[in-house]
Amino acid sequence: MKINVLYRDEKILKIMIEDVRLEYINSLRRIMIAEVPTMAIEDVLVLDNTSVLYDEIIAHRLGLIPLTTVYDRYGSPEGCADKELASSPECAVRLYLDVEAGENGYRIVYSGDLKSEDPDVRPTSDRIPIAVLGRGQRLALEAYARLGRGKEHAKWSPVTVAAFKYKPIININEDLCVLCGKCVEVCPRKVLELKEDKIVVLNVLDCNLCKSCEEACEFDAIKISWNENTLAFTLESTGALKPEQIIVESTNILEKKLNTLLQFLGD
Amino acid sequence: MIEVIIPVRCFTCGALIGDKWEDFKRRVDEGEDPGKVLDDLGVKRYCCRRMLLSHIDLIYEAITFTKPS
Repeated sequence: MKINVLYRDEKILKIMIEDVRLEYINSLRRIMIAEVPTMAIEDVLVLDNTSVLYDEIIAHRLGLIPLTTVYDRYGSPEGCADKELASSPECAVRLYLDVEAGENGYRIVYSGDLKSEDPDVRPTSDRIPIAVLGRGQRLALEAYARLGRGKEHAKWSPVTVAAFKYKPIININEDLCVLCGKCVEVCPRKVLELKEDKIVVLNVLDCNLCKSCEEACEFDAIKISWNENTLAFTLESTGALKPEQIIVESTNILEKKLNTLLQFLGD
Repeated sequence: MIEVIIPVRCFTCGALIGDKWEDFKRRVDEGEDPGKVLDDLGVKRYCCRRMLLSHIDLIYEAITFTKPS
C-alpha cells in the first residue's frame, strides 16, 4: 500500500491510496463516521433561562457544538452511556455559562462564553452564537460533555465528509480524435482542455466518471475507465479531532473488531 | 430557511456554520457579493452555503415581545 498526501490542512485531508482493496478502505470510512469517539455535550442543567429560546432548544444547540477531544482521561462511550454525568468526573467534563444582558440592549451568548473545567476540552470555535438575550435577560447553565459515537447521535461523529472514489483513467486516442472539442464542452467538471493539436487532461481527479465525454464523442476517441485498486480519499473533520487522528483511531477500532472475531473463531 | 437563530451546523453534512454567520452577514450588508464571501469563509458545499444564504434571524423580533423587553 502506498499513500500520497494530495491536500492537507487543519480540517481537511485528501490522500491517494494505491494497492488497496476497496472493502478495507470502506470499513475504515464507516468506522470514521459511526464509531470514532468524540466529546460532545450530553446533559444540560439549566439554572436560569429568561431568553426567548426554550431550554430544549438551547440544550440541542449546545450538543451540536464540536468540542476538542482527548481520549486519555475519560471513560469509554459504552461505560459512560448510563452514568449520571454530573456525579461522574471519570466520564464527563463540566462546562458552565452565566451571561446576563445589561440594561442597554442585546447580548449574544457565544460558545466562547462556555467555561470548561478541562482546558483540553473546549468548543472548537468561540464564535458560535448559542442564544441572543434581550435587555435584562439571563442565561445560566451547567453542561456535561462525554465521549460518544456517531452511531448513537450524529453530534459525536468526528467527520462531516468521509468519502472516496476510484482514480479515473482518461484515455484519448489521438489517431481517432478530430479535435471537435465536444468532449471539452460537455464535461461538467471541466477536466479537459482543447490545446492546439490535442485534448489535454487538466486534473484527472476532478473527473467524476460520468462518461458524458464518451457519449459526446462521435469517433470513440475518448475512453473513461478507472483503477479499482487506487482510491482517492477525502476526509473533512468537524474540528473535534485532527484528520490524521481520525484515521489512526479508525484503524485501531477495526483491529479491535477483527481481534474479537478471531477470538470467537478460536473458541 | 426561516429560523429564529442561525443553526450551529449544516442540516445535511454536519459542518460547523454557526460561527461564520456574523462575518457573512456583516460583509454582505456592506455590499460584498454573497458567493464570494462564502468562498472566502471556506464554505464550499451547496448544502452549507444555503444554510447561510437563506437564513433570516428572527430572534430579534421575538425579543421585542418578551419581558423584560
